[in-house]
Amino acid sequence: MAVVGIDLGTTNSVVATVRGGQVVVVPTSQGGYLHPSVVSFSADGLRYFSVDAVARRILDPKNTVYSAKRLIGLPFRSDEVQKALVRLPYELREGNNEQAVFIGPDRTYTIPEVSGLLLGYLRQCAEMFLGEAVSAAVITVPATFNDSQRRATVDAGRIAGVDVLRVLNEPTAAALAYGLGQNMSQRIAVFDFGGGTFDITILRVENDVFEVLATGGDTFLGGDDMDSALLSILAELFNAEHGLDPRNDQAARSRLLIAAEQVKRHLSDFPEARGDLKNIAVDSGGEPLALRFHIARSVFETAIRGLVGRTIQACQDVLASVQLLPSQIDEVIMVGGTTRVPMVRAEVEKYFGRPPRTDLNPDEVVAWGAAIQAENLANAGESLPSRAVLLDVTPRALGIAVTGGFAERIIDRNVPVPVEQTRIFSTSADHQTSVRIQVCQGESRRFEENVPLGELELNDLRPARRGDVSIEVTFKVDTNGILRVRARDGATGAVREAAVNVRGAMSESEVEAAAERQKYEEPSNLPEIPEA
Amino acid sequence: MAGMSTEQLAAFVRQIFPRLDQLSYYDLLGVPSGADQTAVRAAFYRLASDLHPDRYHTLADHELKEQLEMIYARLCEGYRVLTTPEKRAAYERALNQGKKRLAATDRESHAPQNPEDSLRHPEAKKFFRMGMICLGRKDWKGAIMNFNFARTFEPAAPLIAQKLGEAQAALGKPGGAGGTPPKAP
Repeated sequence: MAVVGIDLGTTNSVVATVRGGQVVVVPTSQGGYLHPSVVSFSADGLRYFSVDAVARRILDPKNTVYSAKRLIGLPFRSDEVQKALVRLPYELREGNNEQAVFIGPDRTYTIPEVSGLLLGYLRQCAEMFLGEAVSAAVITVPATFNDSQRRATVDAGRIAGVDVLRVLNEPTAAALAYGLGQNMSQRIAVFDFGGGTFDITILRVENDVFEVLATGGDTFLGGDDMDSALLSILAELFNAEHGLDPRNDQAARSRLLIAAEQVKRHLSDFPEARGDLKNIAVDSGGEPLALRFHIARSVFETAIRGLVGRTIQACQDVLASVQLLPSQIDEVIMVGGTTRVPMVRAEVEKYFGRPPRTDLNPDEVVAWGAAIQAENLANAGESLPSRAVLLDVTPRALGIAVTGGFAERIIDRNVPVPVEQTRIFSTSADHQTSVRIQVCQGESRRFEENVPLGELELNDLRPARRGDVSIEVTFKVDTNGILRVRARDGATGAVREAAVNVRGAMSESEVEAAAERQKYEEPSNLPEIPEA
Repeated sequence: MAGMSTEQLAAFVRQIFPRLDQLSYYDLLGVPSGADQTAVRAAFYRLASDLHPDRYHTLADHELKEQLEMIYARLCEGYRVLTTPEKRAAYERALNQGKKRLAATDRESHAPQNPEDSLRHPEAKKFFRMGMICLGRKDWKGAIMNFNFARTFEPAAPLIAQKLGEAQAALGKPGGAGGTPPKAP
């Protein structure tokens, strides 16, 4: 049985494993290494995955889910989901427990189910390539992912029948892949600019110990935003020529967006991009309309200057939080396809005062690290030259709501995990017999300015005068960064524990039912492996 | 270093775990009380390399694993406190008072939010709280009456409807009609 590392990305996913002490990446049916994170559904129950699903973003945009990572583990009404809704051509609705659910042609699917289907496909690709069953995986997530997003990722794995060994932070995985710090102490910055998210992480690496000092970033900043910026440029050109805004036509918008992505890639290697896009839309007479364009890199750079500036600002913030100067960083590692954009590399070099490391493929480096960690966990790293220990931290502070609309912090930001903290609270009203403990994430003193994660209710308290009943609230964050909350009625000595109802999450029975369903469903397009 | 054998680990955990709350961070990390940040970090890294839960991912003994994780979590806590100047100063004061752990276990002046805080109307709040007290005494009829009063002030609040439903369900159960007779408001 093999174990794999999976970089489950917003745009693309990468699967890798360790064979004879070497990392190998599982190829796609097209011979590449990036599996597009796309799942397409049809009314007769067929599903298309990855490379076969990409074309269906144009043919059948309403039934083709991409960027699921932007939605996973978030309540439907969260700002992130509402912002994504505007841009996504497929339909989402609010389901059970505030979840965002995708309205498929045959039924509705929760987001962990969609990601679970993709994970199942990736597992099959790995099994066909490796010629053996894949039982378990390390799945990477952005360091900024919160508790609910991590839980939902684990749920997706469970639905796919994959034992999730660890939810690993992407920057930590990348640092692991570079294998730095052998016999010395280094400070490393991991600049991870992917399709949908930006993370900046500062680590100290000393021999086999990787310690995360601080992490920050923007969960809504990525290459997709650059595509959108280019889409606007192309749409304006089209509008100027034909007097028609293609952004109002879903199919035309999808076509232009795919073209925009290609233009972006081209502009990473060349100073200008020219093209002739046919059949973008049709005019009132049904005649197809084309777009001939010529975009200089400088025009693109003007459009993305603000986006790149936000990444540098985030670097400043995170360095300030650990009181370090850019010059005190020994290495800068580039991760994510968006770091191929020359302007990004130039700005990073300017800020840190040194050329960033790009010797490992920025698209694959996270999956490499995940594969190494999977080997470390499952096989005690027997085949590896050295066994790293990863010391990760909590991405945000965690606390609960208290009277007056305030949040009382229980666990600080950037604290090494695992961590367990208990605080004692008292009742605030006479004869109060129940308390509702609302859990939130964030650093603000005001509860409403933080992100609510979920709540638990402690009932049957001894009726007494206010302040006479004490309630012990224990927060425990494990090495996956997943939070467990326990509340005890301290006064009566009775132990009462309650589970947190996580907002926007699937229930235990929903996950089990989905896993059961998927067990009996085969993907419609079986992955094909190119000849060696 | 790449961890210990299961036997070594079990012996270590058996020795440390029962005394975990009696050991200071200095004792746990094995550093003198004057140790500077670099020395504390070096000690912690050495211990982490041996004791990190990831080293024992495949360990079958769940109790041992859990105890190890608690020891390791305390080591992390000690490392963080001793390498953060303000926290270390606070810890020195706590040590002088005989405390071995700097944890935020002090009694808070604030309290968790009450269920009725989500209600807006003061009368609704008042009757809701009385309803909750009745619920606590298993006075289902009194609870239903108070929740109904609360509902007249805030008819749309789902919380009131939910608690009313709970009281009605409890009353409907065999033997559920007992309890103290309700008093007139």
